Amino acid sequence: MSDPATNFGFLDRCDPRVSHLARQAEHYVHSDPDSCLFKLRLMIELMAKRLASLAIPGMHDADLSTMLGMLEREGSLPRKQADGMHAIRRDGNAAVHGNATPAPTAMRRLHDAHRLSGWYARNIVRGGRFDIGEFKPPEPKAPPSLEESDLHDQIHALEDRIEERRRKTRDALLLFRENEDSEAVCKRYRIELKALNMVAMAAGEPLIDADFVALVMAMDLEAIYEHPAFGGDSRHARRNAESQLSQVKSEMAEAERVYLQERAELVQAMQLLKRRQLRGEA
Amino acid sequence: MSLETLEEKVAMVWFLAARAMSVADGNPETARQAAGGLYAQAILGISEEDCLRVKSGDLLDEMTLLDCLAMLRQLPREYGERIMTGVMMIAYANRSMHPLEVRWASTLASSLEFSEDHFQRMCVNARVMSSMLDAQSQDESSDGSTDRDPEVTA
Repeated sequence: MSDPATNFGFLDRCDPRVSHLARQAEHYVHSDPDSCLFKLRLMIELMAKRLASLAIPGMHDADLSTMLGMLEREGSLPRKQADGMHAIRRDGNAAVHGNATPAPTAMRRLHDAHRLSGWYARNIVRGGRFDIGEFKPPEPKAPPSLEESDLHDQIHALEDRIEERRRKTRDALLLFRENEDSEAVCKRYRIELKALNMVAMAAGEPLIDADFVALVMAMDLEAIYEHPAFGGDSRHARRNAESQLSQVKSEMAEAERVYLQERAELVQAMQLLKRRQLRGEA
Repeated sequence: MSLETLEEKVAMVWFLAARAMSVADGNPETARQAAGGLYAQAILGISEEDCLRVKSGDLLDEMTLLDCLAMLRQLPREYGERIMTGVMMIAYANRSMHPLEVRWASTLASSLEFSEDHFQRMCVNARVMSSMLDAQSQDESSDGSTDRDPEVTA
């Protein structure tokens, strides 16, 4: 029977180490949100390692971001779960690097971890039946004051904005919509491509014929770099692309930095309020 | 939606051409994960808003690959070449060569009236870019705030 004091009891029979970390995170969510994030970050790292050991042998030494990317590309990690894991990874990393975590943020990530754990358990124990139950937010020792509630609301509003912003960025980066029927789209494009192929076979190859394309596509990259005609061009293209990509990435990084700054200011306001409460001024 | 600005037309052609290439190998899994957004935004200059707008409209579902070829021919040549490079980058990213990928590349290049030499140079750039983006995704540090792998893997 699962422990009613925790949301993660169902993990015990699936992965005790992950379960232990989840319970610790749950314990710290109000008293020490940074530690909660450290534990959650470690928890998803263990989850990713175990998934990688099953799906991509030899990947378990890679860093978490790379591991999640590989799992996602390999098809072992659905987009929604990947997003949840990346959110924990990002906030965990921010906490490790000294950015204070507000309790409402830690609670959101704990909730994400609960949802992820259910998916993880079902994937690790194939055919296993897990009753993960509804997530019950751990209660703080004392209910928040009106001022604290107000700050919590502001933090929730900020977190909503961060999540919406990240979701938009992610949606813009993908070629297909999240809810798109990818099998149907795949089928439709392939029918059209096959028709183009048949036209080429019946009417003759176009200007750049398929055999030539196949030959060029099979060229070796090292040979390209050394090639007297293309070597210079390719290095130039690389430099250009690197600088353009880094510009886009730095714009994204700046948006994240602004959020972290805003979050830090709210944490500071929360800390000031607590000090005032201790002094009996609030 | 109707396509009024050059940016919207570039975005539409990009999504049609890139999506077709990404599923040409017949794997719908690829479709779920396929990304080319960093290329679209950084190299083609398509804004995040235009990416979202073009993808969310019905027009993208209604347009055929023949429409895509017709629109591609009407774009300024430099955009056509950049779209072709990005499409080839996607073809290289999955490390396989499917006959329908080859056919789509051949059709696009012919539609842009590339010479063999020009096509070869464009492929070199696409190949280099693909390897660069792949390496970048492998090397992402875990403490970055924007290090979202699918952004950089087509």
